[in-house]
Amino acid sequence: MGMKVGIPRETVDGEKRVALTPETAGRIQKLGYDLQIESGAGVEANFSDEAYRAAGVEVLPDADAVWSGSDIVMKVQQPTMAEAGKLEAGRTLISFLWPAQNEDLLSALKDRNPHAVLAMDQVPRISRAQKLDALSSMANIAGYRAVVEAANNFGRFFTGQVTAAGKVPPAKVLVIGAGVAGLAAIGAARSMGAIVRSFDIRPEVAEQIESMGAEFLFLDFEDQDTGTSGGYAKPSSPEFREKQLALFREQAPDVDIVITTALIPGRPAPELWTEDMVRAMKPGSVIVDLAAEQGGNCALTVKGERIVTENDVVIVGYTDMVSRMAAQSSQLYATNLRHLLDDLTPEKDGQPNVDMEDTVIRGCTVVKDGEVTYPPPAVSTSVAPKAAAPKKVEETAEQKAAREAEELRRAGSRTTMLLAVGGALLLALGMVAPESFMQHFIVFVLACFVGFYVIWNVAHSLHTPLMAITNAVSSIIIVGALLQISSTNTVVMVLAALSVLMASVNIFGGFLVTRRMLAMFQKS
Amino acid sequence: MNIGLVSAAYVVAAILFILALGGLSNQEKAKRAIWYGIIGMVLAVVATVMTPGVGNLPVIAVMIAIGGIGGWFVAKKVQMTQMPELVAGFHSLVGLAAVFIGINAHLEMERALMAVADGTAGALTGFAATIAKKTSVELGILKVELFLGILIGAITFTGSIIAYGKLAGKLSSNALTLPGRHAINLAAFAACFVLGFLYLQGAGLWTMILVAIIAGAIGCHLILAIGGADMPVVVSMLNSYSGWAAAAIGFTLGNDLLIVTGALVGASGAILSYIMCKGMNRSFVSVILGGWGGDAGGPQQEVEGEMVPTNVDTVVQQLEDADSVVFVPGYGLAVAQAQGAVSELTKKLRAKGKEVRFAIHPVAGRLPGHMNVLLAEAKVPYDYVLEMEEINDDFPQTDFVMILGANDIVNPSAQDDPNSPIAGMPVLEVWKAKNVVISKRGQGRGYSGVENPLFFKENSRMLYGDAKDSLDAILKQMD
Repeated sequence: MGMKVGIPRETVDGEKRVALTPETAGRIQKLGYDLQIESGAGVEANFSDEAYRAAGVEVLPDADAVWSGSDIVMKVQQPTMAEAGKLEAGRTLISFLWPAQNEDLLSALKDRNPHAVLAMDQVPRISRAQKLDALSSMANIAGYRAVVEAANNFGRFFTGQVTAAGKVPPAKVLVIGAGVAGLAAIGAARSMGAIVRSFDIRPEVAEQIESMGAEFLFLDFEDQDTGTSGGYAKPSSPEFREKQLALFREQAPDVDIVITTALIPGRPAPELWTEDMVRAMKPGSVIVDLAAEQGGNCALTVKGERIVTENDVVIVGYTDMVSRMAAQSSQLYATNLRHLLDDLTPEKDGQPNVDMEDTVIRGCTVVKDGEVTYPPPAVSTSVAPKAAAPKKVEETAEQKAAREAEELRRAGSRTTMLLAVGGALLLALGMVAPESFMQHFIVFVLACFVGFYVIWNVAHSLHTPLMAITNAVSSIIIVGALLQISSTNTVVMVLAALSVLMASVNIFGGFLVTRRMLAMFQKS
Repeated sequence: MNIGLVSAAYVVAAILFILALGGLSNQEKAKRAIWYGIIGMVLAVVATVMTPGVGNLPVIAVMIAIGGIGGWFVAKKVQMTQMPELVAGFHSLVGLAAVFIGINAHLEMERALMAVADGTAGALTGFAATIAKKTSVELGILKVELFLGILIGAITFTGSIIAYGKLAGKLSSNALTLPGRHAINLAAFAACFVLGFLYLQGAGLWTMILVAIIAGAIGCHLILAIGGADMPVVVSMLNSYSGWAAAAIGFTLGNDLLIVTGALVGASGAILSYIMCKGMNRSFVSVILGGWGGDAGGPQQEVEGEMVPTNVDTVVQQLEDADSVVFVPGYGLAVAQAQGAVSELTKKLRAKGKEVRFAIHPVAGRLPGHMNVLLAEAKVPYDYVLEMEEINDDFPQTDFVMILGANDIVNPSAQDDPNSPIAGMPVLEVWKAKNVVISKRGQGRGYSGVENPLFFKENSRMLYGDAKDSLDAILKQMD
């Protein structure tokens, strides 16, 4: 009997997402779980109760029924204190949790003595865990939505156009911070036709930025200590910050749209777009601040609001970007949850196994059997670089030419040597061998050369047919047997007859099998 | 038919054989070229039968009929995965025929010499008549040729049988390493040459029979000492030997057609062996002497990281997401008989507008070109099937690579680790692709016994299980 997985309706204001979609329901049921959902949980994300019923999910009338009747509760937002109180002992909760910022909540959950609490925001950033990395899925959506919001508030085209009524220049977009959200924003803005520039303090992401079609703003700064931790940027030094702000100040009058995505885990968002930069921007410009929740990258951002400054610059500080695309974000988040359940249920028997040996599951699990297990022990995100792998030395064009000339010369002298030795040997043979032998020998040597040139031209893919046909052809030895078969000596006759027999097996078998193979080679 | 006409027929047959082999330069020409070979063979046999002095036609007809039916039956029945053992088996027949014909040549020679001594040489016909006319130097050369024909023929015969047994799974494909095996081989060869010398000095038939037996033992031992993945070289080598045996018999009989054809086949096998050895970056001698040369200096690099398993669902998802897919088949594909499943998958992916190709390493499988034939059998069009040089540069632009039962040919340590036993071997650079999935039965190592760092790379995932079962599961999910 599989465990029951329940999905209550989100209670936080403005939260439209839901942790289960009818599509993921089918996949979760395959893992052996029974599903139940609070009535109306998916309405705001365009998933009706009927759609869930059609997918085999039981629809319960209220949240209490879900909380009390489910072995596993899956949510989007962190539970409220009231919701935490509904978690019963021995149950499992999966949702966003932000344990570092919500210590009270964490201890409240612990006190309920649940089987386990898994935080979707704690998925380790290793490649294996990408499929359940909800932060990345949500960041992707936020990045896209940021561009949509910007376009909505921007009074002009993104793409440049030449119309009968005149020329329109393309919009210039600056994306600060090239994480998942930043890259998604670059992609969306690019595909709408804007000129996109991007900056990130990690120089190693330049390649990713350029691969998305944006220009990487390069900051010339020595002695950079901008390592990353868990895929996020670290705070930077004051000198570096000054240089960075100077770069932005330069950009401010030129760009039409600024999208900021810079976050440092566990700290307020760094202020990167100062008041004077906002004032330097053209009227009608738009700033979308994706870091509004953590205080904003722009000095003037108001959390959750859209404001217009004195010089007509729109600053969008919405914190519910993801929720504004509830259908999409629910679908991705539900899929992330489905993958987590997949990992939790290797046996597909509807019994989750919170395996603390598994680095991914260990990372997510913040409470286990009544104990707080956050923070997890450090996980290395990538394989350590190989110890002193010898690098191949790139050769220059001249070295290459010189090497090739040398090789050619060596090959030439080798050929000359071989010819000289071979010629001498042949001459020596000619001195002693009788004429009749030499005649055959000439034929033999010529045939070897012909064979050499012919076979080099055979296609590699036809090597097996080549072997089969040479096999058939080598049965030409039958000619020898035929010449001996009429001997009056019985032994000779019998041996010759046997040879004829064996050679004919080969001839027929060899040619037939070659034909069979060649007939199979077909062009598309 | 007079001798002139017979010789003309031989010339035509020889030209047809050359054309038949030359025609294999591409797939479409090859289908015609095979007919050149068949016509050439018919012409050669008919001309020989019509040669003055060749009789016993009923026996010939019966033998050819029986042999023909046998060969036809085998060729129709054989599975494409069994091609390596079939080719090896066929080689053994040529080898044995060469031994028989060599012994016959000796018997005929004795008869002819006796007739000459008796003064009744005029009554001799066929081969014996030509021998009777030879001078003593020519007879000496004849004996050398005869000795070589029997020696090579016997090695080919037993070697091919062992190769057949190994490829068909009737014998363990592990390399048998007897203590002092090089010394044994050397002593055996020395014994053969001593016997050959005695024979030249006038010793009787027993020397040649002994040579045949000892050479047979050498053939057995040589091939027993060679492991499974070196089989492409071995089969090519035996192919070459069967040619040289035919050429040696041609010298004995003074027959140019045999010499030409034998030389063609010999050259063909030699070149194939060379290509196979290059594909493994090993010298021919080290392959033939068996085992991997332990001459790598210094310790091998440690492999870090973990092998991460994946499952069918994920692979299906990755396939759906990928625009370009490359399959890398190896011997495991043949063992699992998964060529049909991979062909189905190719069709489905192609129908979805994805670019699907195959990358073939020269030594993939147990026979040169083995994978090509398997894929052709499964109706994978040959223009999707690329050679290593053609596809190696495309891996960085490839979204998804699936390795089907291959190991050493995709091992990055051949390039990265100068201390690896396979350092310098050309390999398929699959690790440059975005995602790599390795379908493998277990965590074992490849033939070379070298750990494969590919499996530990960040973009690699292991799909454990039989290749055919995995592919079938993927196909089912794709619907």
